[in-house]
Amino acid sequence: MDAFNGRIPAGIWGLSAVLLAAAVMLPFMLSPFQIRLAQQILLFGGMAVAWQMLGGFTNYWSFGHTAFFGLGAFAAGLLAQQLDPSLSVAVKLAIGTVFAIGLALVAALAIAIPVLNLRGIYFAIAMLAFAEILAEITKTFDAFHGTSGFPLPALLVPGLTKVQLFYFLFLLLFLTNIAVFVWLRRSRIGMGLTCIGQDEDTAAMLGIPTERYKLVAFVLSAVLTAIGGVLYGYSLGFISTGSVFRIDISLNLILYTMLGGIGTVAGPIIGAALMIVLTQVVLGNLLDLHMMLTGAVLIAMVILAPKGLMGLARKAWDRRRGAAEGRP
Amino acid sequence: MNGTLLFQTLVDGLILGGIFSLSAVGFSLIFGVLGVVNLAHGVFILAGAYIGLWLKGALGLDPLAAIPVVFLVLAVIGGALQRTLVSAAVQRGSLMTSLLITFGASLILRDLLILAFGPDIQSLSSTWLLRTYHVGGVVIDGARATGLLASLVLLAMLAIALHAMKVGRAIRATAQQSFAAGLCGVDSNRIYTLTFGVSAGFAGASGIIIGMINPFSPFDDAYWTLNAFVTVVLGGVGSPVGALLGGLMLGEISTLSSQYIGPRFPNVFIFCALLLMLIVRPNGLLGNAYKASV
Repeated sequence: MDAFNGRIPAGIWGLSAVLLAAAVMLPFMLSPFQIRLAQQILLFGGMAVAWQMLGGFTNYWSFGHTAFFGLGAFAAGLLAQQLDPSLSVAVKLAIGTVFAIGLALVAALAIAIPVLNLRGIYFAIAMLAFAEILAEITKTFDAFHGTSGFPLPALLVPGLTKVQLFYFLFLLLFLTNIAVFVWLRRSRIGMGLTCIGQDEDTAAMLGIPTERYKLVAFVLSAVLTAIGGVLYGYSLGFISTGSVFRIDISLNLILYTMLGGIGTVAGPIIGAALMIVLTQVVLGNLLDLHMMLTGAVLIAMVILAPKGLMGLARKAWDRRRGAAEGRP
Repeated sequence: MNGTLLFQTLVDGLILGGIFSLSAVGFSLIFGVLGVVNLAHGVFILAGAYIGLWLKGALGLDPLAAIPVVFLVLAVIGGALQRTLVSAAVQRGSLMTSLLITFGASLILRDLLILAFGPDIQSLSSTWLLRTYHVGGVVIDGARATGLLASLVLLAMLAIALHAMKVGRAIRATAQQSFAAGLCGVDSNRIYTLTFGVSAGFAGASGIIIGMINPFSPFDDAYWTLNAFVTVVLGGVGSPVGALLGGLMLGEISTLSSQYIGPRFPNVFIFCALLLMLIVRPNGLLGNAYKASV
């Protein structure tokens, strides 16, 4: 393994630049349906990267990230209704994002203090319960309009269609998530989190401020997920509890990460791309089988390739290099 | 406060709680003995209800009489799932990966249920279950009374099997320390498969009872899995008594809050109780039946 904060090789920079250029040009060449697929890959792949900020390094697997996703969407949406109607939609979106960030920050800090003391399965289920509580609250109290749903203002930019516009917004968030994740992984915090993942008690004994590192990762992950919720809400134009507080969002983030390879940047993105294309294009006409296929892929990956596609690729690469150098 | 109404609410909570207890005991046993959170538990329950429905339609078998058959079928499915997939996941990865495996299995099983029985809401009620009884101002209908009774009988049978029978002792020994149990001649892999099978069987049996009382659809599985988890966290891990205590608490919280606060509130209360218990005492009021309490 390379030093955790060594220089990023030029090849990776080059590849990233090419991919970025392709991603910027893509929406001008694809059909609206294809752009919508790409949108989802960017949004949910990016959110899976955000999920990894805690779950990728440690065993703290949040099964309730949709809590922050829904929180962001509801915060921005309900705020937009209260704001002065004469404000432009872009300003509303900006204010809504700031509000959602603040709210997610407060919520994440409040829930983190008790929940991060739980380990393993208990943490996973506590997060699931947290997401359910938020979903139930938005449904129970009429002030949140969770059951009936409510509209969000339509964001328009001249020269771009709606799908193209949100494609670029999702791309922006996607890049932010990757940048934050890469920074985190190369920082002291990332090293500390990796130690926590290996053995938390030993890490604490060696003087790693485990509580603080877990908190930083959890809050970063929550805030970035909430921004995803804001953008998703605006892209839908109408949200309800059922459309943003969805257990399947939480679980898909884990599935994408597992499928691609946990702990890597490219893994969750490849996982998201593969699953989204598979379920929406290949099986588009077989809606009944979506869930069965998701389940089968999940089981197959856990049994056959616990380190994901990236793990398989790395293994194959090592074997080839070993053969080239005459090693067994 | 109206005394009869309070009493009626408490009795309703008791009945609901008895059914929650039975539906959660399998989940609790798997969690206590294998350490695995079985996210396919809710589908096992629904599969039990659907098999009961099929037996009723095809053979005219009464739901209560179908319980042994359903128990056996689900026990085979559960045992096979453990033998093939869950054990592989636990060996290769961690206990966390067993969450993914059982979740994947639940997606597949639920789709199979939809393909076999359709997505519609079904019910298992029989005419003789619809009679109502008045006991001192409290109204109980036949279905609920039967459900509570059957739940208590099945729970008692499990408790006796775990404490008095040789195989029950082997299960408890494996849960305490599988290595030491192995030294004493217990085949822990066999015990794991058996525990998973028995737990799935109990889930299926509770599915029949749930189906007699409430309508059900293939999409209810997450609700029942979560309920089982709440029950275990409230009561205690791994024992029928813990499941009974947790189930009764869950039933009472649910009926009291919907009667006195509002019919839309029970879920908020239940999940708040869950979060609170997870933070204060994650292994439930009675703790883990097999390991030293934390």
